[in-house]
Amino acid sequence: MVNSVTHAQAVSLTTAVNLSKMKISSNPVETLVAFSIGSGIGVAIHDSVIGVGGILNIMLPDSTQTSGISAGKSPFMFADTAVPSFIQALYEQGTLPERMKVVIVGGANIVDCNGLFNIGQKNREAVQTFLSQHHLNIHYEDTGGTLSRTLSLEIGSGCSSIRIFGRGELKV
Amino acid sequence: MINIEDIVDRITLLEPVPPVAIQLLVLAEDSDSSTSEIADLLMHDPALTANLLKICNSAYLGLSRKVESVREAISFVGLDQIVDLVLLNSVAQNFQNRYDGYGLGEGELWRHAVSSAHIAKILADRYGASQIKHLIFTAALLKDIGKLVLGRYVAFSFEKINILVHSQGYSFNEAEKQIIGMNHEELGAMVAEKWCFSDRMTYIIRNHHLSDPATRDNPETALVYLADIICMMMGVCTGADGLAYRFYADVLNQLDLSVNDLHDVIAEMGERQPSIENLVNLM
Repeated sequence: MVNSVTHAQAVSLTTAVNLSKMKISSNPVETLVAFSIGSGIGVAIHDSVIGVGGILNIMLPDSTQTSGISAGKSPFMFADTAVPSFIQALYEQGTLPERMKVVIVGGANIVDCNGLFNIGQKNREAVQTFLSQHHLNIHYEDTGGTLSRTLSLEIGSGCSSIRIFGRGELKV
Repeated sequence: MINIEDIVDRITLLEPVPPVAIQLLVLAEDSDSSTSEIADLLMHDPALTANLLKICNSAYLGLSRKVESVREAISFVGLDQIVDLVLLNSVAQNFQNRYDGYGLGEGELWRHAVSSAHIAKILADRYGASQIKHLIFTAALLKDIGKLVLGRYVAFSFEKINILVHSQGYSFNEAEKQIIGMNHEELGAMVAEKWCFSDRMTYIIRNHHLSDPATRDNPETALVYLADIICMMMGVCTGADGLAYRFYADVLNQLDLSVNDLHDVIAEMGERQPSIENLVNLM
């Protein structure tokens, strides 16, 4: 967590959302950031009417395909358990589905001619499926390719930004 | 094209890996060597011993009592982990800088290296290569050492490299070779030779992207390659090169691993990442 104070009135707070984690906030000076998303997916959701939003940072599509680490232990690692839990946690903060602005970022793939190890694409499809099941539309998506991305969400404004090395920053 | 001799000359600007680390690796891989021999080797390097005890007594390991000697450290922490900690500590200094050509901020290449090394160790255990786990761990840690030198040249040529990667289907290391005249794995192998690493270590560093099909039959190189791929996919401090490297599916058959095995390794690393972050910050 990084705090920076530039002068008495301008206080900002940046909170990292690490791999397999989610964070929800209603603090208007807080910015949530998921750094360097590779094949995983960062999901930013914000309800501007009540000023609540969050970022989810998943790594893998399906908890039933992985042995050793259970979804019970790491619920926000897998899309199938993480997306419904994230949305439920947002509902509990008073957000409504029709007001939610959804941004998804990541899902990069290694260069794989046979498409055997395309976790990025599988992650994207899984996240999309679970968002659809909750009747949520994606407002903006930047997925695929071979580049890693950094996703941030300003809770006060609801503005998301996507940063890619060499391509600058896009605000949505 | 950039003068290759200028690039190679810059290897001398790196801080060489201390000889004790190379000797340690030889002993650790030798089934005839004893714990006592390793302890003796480490004890004769006061700076290394001091750093090792500092790490062992830190919150990272959470020991119930303070250790005051190398022998105590080995006894309480275990020889395997002591070897890894010494190897990490021996190479940390070089990796801490920022490498603008690769879009890596301060400490990011180090974070990527340490994570790759831990992934390689998990893979070695799964593949049943635990007898060479220290070699694989160290090779994964050092595989990108060529980037320490090549970074400034990648920065000069980044636009050209980027065009080849994103418009002409080159992988990042293929584009480095095309534009600069050499890539980071070739340069890494030159560093390894200069620092008197073993032939096996040098081979792995030179071939860790498996560009030459003949290298894909070599299990230890293939394990380091997979560790790198997984680390990139996890996004652990991937830089400007991102995931722009080739995946060779036949390697999985060679190692008798499945895609689901790789998912399991990713999940295990996800669990261990906070602990690895603590380790990264200790060095």
